[in-house]
Amino acid sequence: MALRVNYFVDETVSNLRRNVLLTLAAVSTVSISLLLLGVVMVGGEVLTKMVSSWEGKVELNVFLRDEATPEEVKALGSQANGMPEVEKVFFESKEQAFEEYKRMFKDSPAITENVDPNALPASYRIKLKDPNSAEAVASRLQGQPGVDEVQFGGEAMKRLLKFTGVVRTILVIAIILTLGAAILLIANTIRLGIYARRKEIGIMKLVGATNWFIRVPFIFEGTVQAALGALLASALIYAGKVFGLDRMQDAILFLPLTVSSGSIIRMFFTLLAIGIVIGVFGSSLALRRFLEV
Amino acid sequence: MIRLENVSKVYKGSVVALRDISTDIQKEEFVFLVGSSGSGKSTFIKMLLKEEEPSEGTIYVAGKDIGQLPRWRVPYLRRNIGCVFQDFKLLANKTVRENVAFALEVIGRPKNIISQRVPAIIELVGLTDKLNSMPHELSGGEQQRVCIARAMVNRPPILLADEPTGNLDPSTSADIMNLLERLNESGTTVLIATHDHAVVDRSRKRVIELDGGKLVRDQVRGVYGIG
Repeated sequence: MALRVNYFVDETVSNLRRNVLLTLAAVSTVSISLLLLGVVMVGGEVLTKMVSSWEGKVELNVFLRDEATPEEVKALGSQANGMPEVEKVFFESKEQAFEEYKRMFKDSPAITENVDPNALPASYRIKLKDPNSAEAVASRLQGQPGVDEVQFGGEAMKRLLKFTGVVRTILVIAIILTLGAAILLIANTIRLGIYARRKEIGIMKLVGATNWFIRVPFIFEGTVQAALGALLASALIYAGKVFGLDRMQDAILFLPLTVSSGSIIRMFFTLLAIGIVIGVFGSSLALRRFLEV
Repeated sequence: MIRLENVSKVYKGSVVALRDISTDIQKEEFVFLVGSSGSGKSTFIKMLLKEEEPSEGTIYVAGKDIGQLPRWRVPYLRRNIGCVFQDFKLLANKTVRENVAFALEVIGRPKNIISQRVPAIIELVGLTDKLNSMPHELSGGEQQRVCIARAMVNRPPILLADEPTGNLDPSTSADIMNLLERLNESGTTVLIATHDHAVVDRSRKRVIELDGGKLVRDQVRGVYGIG
C-alpha cells in the first residue's frame, strides 16, 4: 500500500505540474466560486450583526404612576425580571429621568427651566431577548398595579422587524444561490479536466487498471485544487476585511461593520470543506461516464 | 486459450453483429481474424475484452467464462490481454519509456519491477535509442512498436491486435508482423483482426473469416481470400 500511496502522490503532483494551465484554470475557478460564496457569507455576517444591533435597541418603557407604592414598584420589577422573554430590567427614577431630560435638551435651557423635576414619571426600561415578543410582554404588564402606561416601538418597530426578517431571508437565498453556482462551476471545471484526459483514462482501463486506481489521482487533484482555491479565496476575503471593512468601520462608527479574524478562519474551513466535498463528489461523478466498461 | 460457444451479438435496433459463432483458439496459436468492415471483427474483439456482452452464447478466456465475471473483476481479465491498435493510443505528453511504464504503474506494479521490465521490453521491440523520445518524434512503425511494448510489458498470455498495420506502409507492416510472430514464438497467443491481404498471405497462419456476422471459413494455413 505504501507503494501505491507513492504512486498516487507522484501522479497527482506530476499531473498538476504537467497540466499547469488546466490546474491554474481550475484553481482560479474554484477560488472565484468560493470567493463569491465567502463574500456572501461575510456580508451576511455583517448584515446579521447590524440587524441584531438594531433589534437589540428595541426596548419596552413601563411608565409608573406617581402614586405607586414602593412595594408595587418592587413587585413590578421582580415580575418583569421573572418573565422568560426578558433579558434585563433597568429602573429609572424620577430624578434620573429628569437628568436624562436635561441632558437631551441641554442646548435649549428654556425648555428645561419650565419643567418641574417631578413632572417626569419613573419607569422601568425592559430589554428583551427577542424583540418579537414586545407586544406580548407589554400587554401582560399593562394594567398591573402601579403601571401608568407601557410603550414600545409599535408600528415603527413592527416595520423594522419585518425589514430585518426580509434581510435574513434574502441572505439565506443568496447563500443557497452562490453555493449552487459554486457547485456547478467547480463540477464543470473538474469535468473539463477529466475530459482533457479521457484518452489516458481509456488506456488505463485497457491495460487493466481498476476503477479506484484511476479515480484516486483525480480525487487527490480535486482536493488539492479545492484547498488552493479555498486558501486563495479566504486570503482575498481577509484582505478585503483589513483594507475594506476595517477602514470603513473606522469611518462609520455607529454601525458594527467588522468581522473578526476568527470568523474568517472559520469561513476558510467552511470553504475548504465545501471545496473538497465538491471536488471529491464532482470528480467521482464526472469520472463515472468515462469509467463505464 | 480463447473459446467461443454459439456466440451471437445483436445490438439495439436488431442489428445482428455476430451470428452463432463457435471457435477455439489454442494456447500459443497465431490467428488472423479477417473480414470486410462490418463483418463483426470489432465486436468479436470487444467481447473478448468484455467491452460488449454477447447476446447469446458463452466466451471463455484463459479457461474462465467471462460472462460470469463480476464487473469489478474486469480489470483483472484485461491484465491477461495485451492490446494493440491501429491508432496506437499513445499518451502524447509522455515519453516512450513513460508510456510503457504507465501500463505497469496503473496496475500497481512496484517500482523495481517497472525499472527492470520497461527497458527490457523496449529493447525487445528495438527502440532502445528512442527511450526518451516523445511519440510525435517517432515514425508510425516506431509508435506501433511502443504500443506493442506497452501491451506486452505486463507479460500477458494473449495479445490482441486490431488492425495493427492499418496505418503503416507495406515494409513497416512486415516489420511489425515479424515482431508479433517473434512474440508468438516466445509463447504468447496472438489474435490479429485485419483486412490487410498482404500481411495475411505472407504469414500463412490460421485464418478465421467473418462475413456478415457469420463464421464462413476457418483454415489452418490460410490466405486472406480465395480468388
